[in-house]
Amino acid sequence: MEKQIDLLQGTLEMLILKAVSLGALHGYGVLLRIQQISGGKLAIQQGSLYPALYRLEHRGWITSEWGESENKRKAKFYRLTSAGKRRFQAEAEKWNRMTGVVAGILDATPEEI
Amino acid sequence: MTLPSRLWSWLRATFRRSRMENEMDSELRFHLDAYVEDLVRSGLSREEARRRARIEFGAIDGAKEDCRNERGVRFFDTLGQDLRYALRMMRRTPAFSIIAILTLAIGIGANTGIFSVVHAVLLKPLPYPESNRLAIVFSAWGNETRGPASGPETVELQRRSRLFEEIAGIWVTTGTIVGSGEPEQIRLGQVTTNFLSLLAYEPQLGQFFSSENRHSGAQPEIVISDGLWRRQYGAEPSVIGKTVRMGAASVTVVGVMPREFRLLLPRDSNVAPDIDVFTPFPGDLAKAAPGTGYIRTIGRLRPGVSIIQAQTELDEIATQLRAGYKEFASQNLRLRVFPLQAEDVRNVRQSLLALFGGVGLVLLIACVNVANLLLSRSSVRSREITVRTALGASGGRIVRQMLTESILLSMAGGILAMAIGWGALQWLLSLRPDGIARIGAIGLDFSAFAFTAVVSILAGVLFGLAPALKAAKLNVAEALKEGDRSPAGRKTNSRSLLIVSEVALGFVLLVASGLMIRTFTSLLRVDAGFRDENALTFQLSIPGALLHPPDRADKFLHELRTKLNALPGVESVGVVSHLPLDGSAANWYSYFWRDDAPPQEKNTVMADYRSISPGYFRSVGATLIGGRDFTEFDDVAHPHAAIVDDDLAKQTWPNQNPIGKKLAVEDSPGGPFWFTEDTVEVVGVVRHVQYHSLTTSIRSQIYLPYALAPRPLVSFVVRSAMPPESLVGLIRHEVANLNKAIPVSRVAPLGDYVRNARSDSRFVTMLAAMLASIALLLATIGIYGVTSYSALQHTSQIGVRMALGAQPCDVLRMVLWQGMAPVFVGLVVGLGLALASTPLLSNMLYGVRPADFLSIGVSLVVLVTAGTAACYVPARRAMRVDPIIALRYE
Repeated sequence: MEKQIDLLQGTLEMLILKAVSLGALHGYGVLLRIQQISGGKLAIQQGSLYPALYRLEHRGWITSEWGESENKRKAKFYRLTSAGKRRFQAEAEKWNRMTGVVAGILDATPEEI
Repeated sequence: MTLPSRLWSWLRATFRRSRMENEMDSELRFHLDAYVEDLVRSGLSREEARRRARIEFGAIDGAKEDCRNERGVRFFDTLGQDLRYALRMMRRTPAFSIIAILTLAIGIGANTGIFSVVHAVLLKPLPYPESNRLAIVFSAWGNETRGPASGPETVELQRRSRLFEEIAGIWVTTGTIVGSGEPEQIRLGQVTTNFLSLLAYEPQLGQFFSSENRHSGAQPEIVISDGLWRRQYGAEPSVIGKTVRMGAASVTVVGVMPREFRLLLPRDSNVAPDIDVFTPFPGDLAKAAPGTGYIRTIGRLRPGVSIIQAQTELDEIATQLRAGYKEFASQNLRLRVFPLQAEDVRNVRQSLLALFGGVGLVLLIACVNVANLLLSRSSVRSREITVRTALGASGGRIVRQMLTESILLSMAGGILAMAIGWGALQWLLSLRPDGIARIGAIGLDFSAFAFTAVVSILAGVLFGLAPALKAAKLNVAEALKEGDRSPAGRKTNSRSLLIVSEVALGFVLLVASGLMIRTFTSLLRVDAGFRDENALTFQLSIPGALLHPPDRADKFLHELRTKLNALPGVESVGVVSHLPLDGSAANWYSYFWRDDAPPQEKNTVMADYRSISPGYFRSVGATLIGGRDFTEFDDVAHPHAAIVDDDLAKQTWPNQNPIGKKLAVEDSPGGPFWFTEDTVEVVGVVRHVQYHSLTTSIRSQIYLPYALAPRPLVSFVVRSAMPPESLVGLIRHEVANLNKAIPVSRVAPLGDYVRNARSDSRFVTMLAAMLASIALLLATIGIYGVTSYSALQHTSQIGVRMALGAQPCDVLRMVLWQGMAPVFVGLVVGLGLALASTPLLSNMLYGVRPADFLSIGVSLVVLVTAGTAACYVPARRAMRVDPIIALRYE
């Protein structure tokens, strides 16, 4: 159980960074956008969203400021920082490489070994 | 780089706590409301939507906690919680807290005090440039292993050594200087020109000596100390370049030494820390007598050179010197080198480390006591702890809580300990032990503060760990049961173990202090060969003018003696070149042999030479056991006479009468330090007089009449029926009448030198006794605490027994036995520890064996008595218990 959460934690952070890179969002908006981009196939556990957001802010990859939401209520908006952009690119690259390797392994046929 | 942002985020989280919390709340509330709105929009009723949202968001409080964790403040949060709780607990049980804090304060404070001394004396580097490269060179010949070098030796060392960057030397003598007031007798250090720059970065004013050759006609230069500058020249900068009179000569002041400068050479090198005037050696050292050693040599090694390498090089140089000079060959000269810092503290290191061990033991005992207290209290708090465990606290959390409490206690003790440590240090310094030359530099500084803090934390962990671990392991179900009917067996075992260790450690300390006390009393009773009561001493520095022609000084001293003898109440007056137990004058020692000795026996045995006047033995209280004292007729013109001590007589002419026998000696009838060989006849034998220390005797003694060996520095001994102090004014008057330019210095009763010789032992003894008393007190309190607590625990048991017919005295016996059993075990363990460890102290003992029966026996009796007394009170209380009440008590 632990390992799965770890993996998801790393992936979740990457997804949040991507979501925020498309424009400043408040927490709930991040949730919606991820759902939206994934075509409704990925639903984030609400309890793990905010710890992830706070962790990203602590590390300096996103930054926050208070603003007004669509329905004129005060909400905290998150934006990607330049360090966050670099981090996202690095993480995305790592992810792609890893999935490529894993895909290669999974595709191996008996003759190739 | 995320570190700066992490730091910033952490800072914000720590210092803007409440605002962060509010923001987090409103953010999450916003999220919740938005979610509810969406659910409502997708068709749920508002209530249903809210319920769903709540459930899905159920972890929100947990999430909050996670959020807070992500900010990295959890550690400080829980620490703050623990601290506040610990403070509350401390306030609730004030008696316990006060006892614990006091106990710890005493234990830690004693350690802080001794640590300051150890740090200043043993650990701090010498206050000289590159002090870790400084070394001292000794010349060894015959039985002498740490002797001074001669002029040619020093010059050759400077020339031949490759591994030494610099070699310098000093010879300390006395002189008289005239400043603004009275002529003052000063300690004069004749030095090589590089000596001062070796030991100090730069002078306070002016400059050091330059190493170019001076014209022989130029006025000699001097560098004066800061103290002299202030005393005689009013701290005026104009002193530089001034011409002053020193003795018979005029000299120029070229520099002033830095204020804190002190010369820290090993004690047995007879170089005092405070030299008033430095001047270069007059004349060429290379032309001095090769066989006369008087210069103390130090040097700085090149970077990276080890002592072993230096010693190898010096061995080679010694071989070359023996080949090149016949004097060195006949002496079999060897050279030895040691690091300066290590040599300085050689004598005192062992005592200090032993004391450090002693206070460490006291601290251990204090910790044991507090651990006992904590254990007792933790069984009282067992209910609270089990509730916490049931509510979800992990074992680690509980241990951390309890450790926080104990560290808080020990830090409070540590703060109080700084005050106690300061007081302990003041008391230590007031004992003025002779051996700690750097005693001016000792105070509570940052290192002491850091030491106290570290020791407090360690102590807190040490005594808190066991009770904390024990508390965390409590079985929840069992402890929550009503009525603690368990006989508290297991807990008592660990408490008894603590008592055993306390008693054992306390026993070791008691035995050690007993040994020290016996050493000191032996020193009090030692017969030093002279009588020190009712004798006053003072020193005179005879000016050069009076030393030429050679017999002039003798006449002067004779005249002064006659005048002083005429003073009221004076029984006798004598003069000697070296007062017993006075280390201030450089020793004069050299070879001697029987007149008819074969060549291979010559230059093998050495003796201490003393130059004296008639009447010296009577004045100093030495015992003439054969022959006669010197008279006025024992001078250069008459047959040369000598008086020897009984050691020398026994060595040289065993079983024969030494009177009338002839000796080959070294003397200087032609003037001070113009040593020549001479033959003298033994006219008297005197009992050996302790010179170097009260207990050790290095060489035997040869006394020569002053006329045969005049010296500029002499000590007078005046024995009188009246208290000696009353004569001081009269003495000064008489001296001034004869010669106004001679200052009277070092006026002191003869007893002061004896007391000074005992000061080291007195220091250690008082300290050891104090430590042992503290240990005894702590152990007694500990025994009392544990016994009364366990008696309390057993009240129901006692009630049952009494109801079944036990008499009060049976109860008394039972409680006493239970209390004393661990004490006896502790005594056995302590005996073993003491027998194993006291041989380590044997260098510090005198007149007593490490396994001394008296010390061990008395310590045993003391501990048993204290333990019994400590157990007696609770035992008596238990005796008076009403069985009915006891049975109802739970």
